[in-house]
Amino acid sequence: MTYFFQLVVSGVVVGSIYALSALGFVLIYKSSRVLNIAHGQIIAGGAFIVYALTVWAGVPIILSFLASMVITFFLAMSVERVFLRRLIGEPIISVIMVTIGLMSIIDGVIYLTPFGSMNYSFPEFLPSTPISMGGVSISWTQLVGVLITFILIGAFSWFFKRSTIGVSMRAVSDDQLASMSVGISVPKVFGLAWAMAGLSAAAAGGIIGNITGLNFETLRAFGITVFPVVILGGLDSIIGAVVAGIIMGLIQQFAAGYLDGNWGLNGTADVLPYIILLIILLFKPHGLFGTHEIERV
Amino acid sequence: MKRKYHRLWLVAMATMLALAFTTPIQAGETYQLGLSLAITGPTSDAGNPYSKGAEDYIRFVNETNVLGDAKVDCPIRDDMYETAVTKRNFEDFLDQEMVLFLSYATGANQALAQDFNEVKIPVIPASMDKSLVEMSDYIFLPIASYSHQYVGVAEYVAKNHKGGGVPKVAAFIHPSAFGRAPLEDFKAAVAAGLKLDLVEVVEHGKDLDNSALLQRLQSKGVQYVLCQTVQSPVATLLNDAQRLGMTATSFGEAGKITFMGAHYTGGNDLIALAGSAAEGYYWTTAYHVTSEKGPWTDWQLDMAKKYERDDKTANSHNYACGMMAAQVAVEAIRRTREAGQEVTSATLYETLKQMNGDKAFESLAAVGPVTYGPGDHMGVDTVQLYVVKDGAFQSEGKPFKPEFIK
Amino acid sequence: MSTNRWFATGNFYTTYREEQRIFRTHVDRLFFILFLMGLFAWPLFIDASNRNMLVINNILIAVVAVYGLNLVTGFAGLISIGHAAFVGIGAYTLAGTARTIGDSHMLITHCWPLMILISGVVGAAFGAFVGLPAMRLKHLYLAIATLSFQMIFTWAIQFMTFFNQGQMIAVGRVFWINGQVGRSDHYRFWYYVILVTAVICGLAVRNLLRTRYGRCLVAVRDNDRAADAMGMHPGLTKVYAFALAGFFAGIAGALHTYMFRGAGFESFTLHHSIIYLAMAIVGGLGTLPGSLLGPVAIQTLELQMEHLSEWAGSFLPASMNLATALRPLGFGLVIVLFLMFEPRGMANWWRICRSYFKLWPFRY
Repeated sequence: MTYFFQLVVSGVVVGSIYALSALGFVLIYKSSRVLNIAHGQIIAGGAFIVYALTVWAGVPIILSFLASMVITFFLAMSVERVFLRRLIGEPIISVIMVTIGLMSIIDGVIYLTPFGSMNYSFPEFLPSTPISMGGVSISWTQLVGVLITFILIGAFSWFFKRSTIGVSMRAVSDDQLASMSVGISVPKVFGLAWAMAGLSAAAAGGIIGNITGLNFETLRAFGITVFPVVILGGLDSIIGAVVAGIIMGLIQQFAAGYLDGNWGLNGTADVLPYIILLIILLFKPHGLFGTHEIERV
Repeated sequence: MKRKYHRLWLVAMATMLALAFTTPIQAGETYQLGLSLAITGPTSDAGNPYSKGAEDYIRFVNETNVLGDAKVDCPIRDDMYETAVTKRNFEDFLDQEMVLFLSYATGANQALAQDFNEVKIPVIPASMDKSLVEMSDYIFLPIASYSHQYVGVAEYVAKNHKGGGVPKVAAFIHPSAFGRAPLEDFKAAVAAGLKLDLVEVVEHGKDLDNSALLQRLQSKGVQYVLCQTVQSPVATLLNDAQRLGMTATSFGEAGKITFMGAHYTGGNDLIALAGSAAEGYYWTTAYHVTSEKGPWTDWQLDMAKKYERDDKTANSHNYACGMMAAQVAVEAIRRTREAGQEVTSATLYETLKQMNGDKAFESLAAVGPVTYGPGDHMGVDTVQLYVVKDGAFQSEGKPFKPEFIK
Repeated sequence: MSTNRWFATGNFYTTYREEQRIFRTHVDRLFFILFLMGLFAWPLFIDASNRNMLVINNILIAVVAVYGLNLVTGFAGLISIGHAAFVGIGAYTLAGTARTIGDSHMLITHCWPLMILISGVVGAAFGAFVGLPAMRLKHLYLAIATLSFQMIFTWAIQFMTFFNQGQMIAVGRVFWINGQVGRSDHYRFWYYVILVTAVICGLAVRNLLRTRYGRCLVAVRDNDRAADAMGMHPGLTKVYAFALAGFFAGIAGALHTYMFRGAGFESFTLHHSIIYLAMAIVGGLGTLPGSLLGPVAIQTLELQMEHLSEWAGSFLPASMNLATALRPLGFGLVIVLFLMFEPRGMANWWRICRSYFKLWPFRY
């Protein structure tokens, strides 16, 4: 039984990381209908900025975490301003290809730094003995990661429900023309959406970097694994991103725990999300919490 | 766009098209080598220092006139672990009349083996896959193959396992030809009498969390995990094992898991990544490590300082790997020149094949001499076992040769 | 009045048949034939090195693959981010056969045109299978479905021992009329084969657009409800579009395997799907010249980046991985700049050139 609970705990930890990565993705889609394929790269960038601030500039880790979030906030906003502002109104294939091009550009910029090919790891700033209760153990870094994730998600939900800017972002995602007629600046909202996505990506990157170490390949793979999560949850639902993230984490851990090793299967945890993605797309394309657009079959 | 920009664009595109098919010109008496490896992409944490090692050694050779008035030119290309790009780089180097090829990836070497045979060019790879020497007579491994190292580690387990019964082991390998390389020979060794029970073979993915894997292995009674991959997956595994409290504090401690691995799994990078979780990790390789002072390690650190490499690279055993591969190539060229012969692929091949007995090459980098002969295409035949104690690798025992493998 | 069949000088079509002609004027046809002759003749005079032939062959294989992608994404408007998987299916059909019956078996070395066609058909079958969700999904969701198909394909190849778990499966050298094609002739021989294939496929695609099915495709892309009202079946059209794309991709895959003398999974990853999409877009989505210009541009760009970084590496500090950074940087910049400033791709420049000459010697 402890095996099962250990899997559940690991699944929640991994799932909350997915949830945080998916959050940024959903934010961008919700307000501007853009699939941001470069999200993994922004996560990686945020992680490297945290590392650079902590290790090279000697800033205490909490401050560098916050500072990295602020820096990525502005970086993402400028990315939107420079590259995507021109493409408002273009067909969707062009916008997807621009984010793909952005992905390559950020890749190239990161390869120019030593982060692109070497491994780095954060200095240990939390006690390394794990917390264990009844045979199930979780390390301090993982626990802090989960806590930060939920705090951030709570903050975002509050922001969207209560603050004026949040409400105006929701208005833009609902109907751009109507919100323009009410006086909301739609381009500003797009920029803000990207900026907040950058914020959550930096947080996700910082947490992942602490748990698994900084390896560019691993971090950028998040940009692709986030797709099954957002489709499962619904492309434009924040709650969906969180719930789907946790579900996906759990499914992956259960697959690794019970399917791998039997029948010569290996690495099922990597492919199972995509099989689920296909199944969801065929039967319920809007996911668990997405808005159901009237589609003709 | 306006008219004049049209013309400008046309001229620019035409120039680019023309430039694309030109190659840079070289001058002077130079011997042409070529190195194609993964500086970025999968396994780049090993490839990056390897490329720096080879580059620095070649620069050293040219600057200190090791070959008299001749120079060595070794362009280094990044193939991102993709076979198609490696093949293109190989053809490009051939066009530049390369005499010896330094290659990297196991998969690419396997794919190009038929080409090596047809072009008859000697190759020194970074991959120590044993099947490579069987696929091509022109491949010369610098040190003992992965299979030898893996079986060597396994023999250590079989010899030193305490508590009765056959020790249960699991294999943790990279999901590629590189990872699967030693498994066949390992299974053959077990069949030939090595007393071990291989419970499971795990090909790792991009796992963030290995708890499920570790618990599954422990529930099956596995006491030793033998790794054949690169450093970061092993570091993640070790971190998770420490978190779950499964790491053995002494070799073969009952109820816990001892982690061991072959050449590319360990090194100072692993200690940097895994921190305290790497205590008690056993590792085989044929190179000297910088945590144990010696004539080679002093020289390695001096070279790194001379060419302004950062600390990580300077202390990496992959840096030594790259240097030694270049060293063997340059030594072959030097001997061919000394014998008064013209340096071509054929003569280099012959020189390499005669590197045995009193002509064996004593390289300070490795724990034994480099010997090649008909039927022996593995350079250094002995391996050294290291273990992490107090945050650094320390050698355990003397260099040895594994018995259960030819 | 008698129309001048040699020069265009504006549009004076009087019958539908005239409008549908592939070559509008005799001069058009003449230039095309001269161009083809040039393409066939130049290897006889210029001795290109192996590596340059390899690059040219890669470009031509990409041209065949991008024909398919342009059909499905450009003409039918169905975004496909999984095209490398279709190419991989063609490649692995051949490699799988090689693994079962031996890589020097007569079927592979002597009946290689047949094997290429079979790979195309298998690719078409998988294309139709993947196209089935296209009947229900639109736009973004279809793109994500094709993306997941790509990831599943990569995993399946690496997992199945039948495909050597993703490692290289070798294919032997082929035989032509005068014996086995040796190493020195290998690239030139395959250059001709791939060139012939590319020309035939190009003519086929050009012809497709004047058939009933071609008009169906364009109608469904523009407004599938209206097309449905006109009596076409949008769902089947989309599935057929995917099948055609799979066919071209399968042929490209088989040619790739023969030319590289083996198939390994690393040539058919998500990265390559993205490169094919970039080729289609930079060339010009939905145009035939676009399928030709796009691969040339992207391959040339890669080579240029390599040269540039080797040149710059000689005076920049070695700690900056300039070589490896320039490749994705250049690639991404080109895509983004093209999409921002020239969204209709290089085919647009070609179109402007041609329309200038169409009215020549008059200005307007």
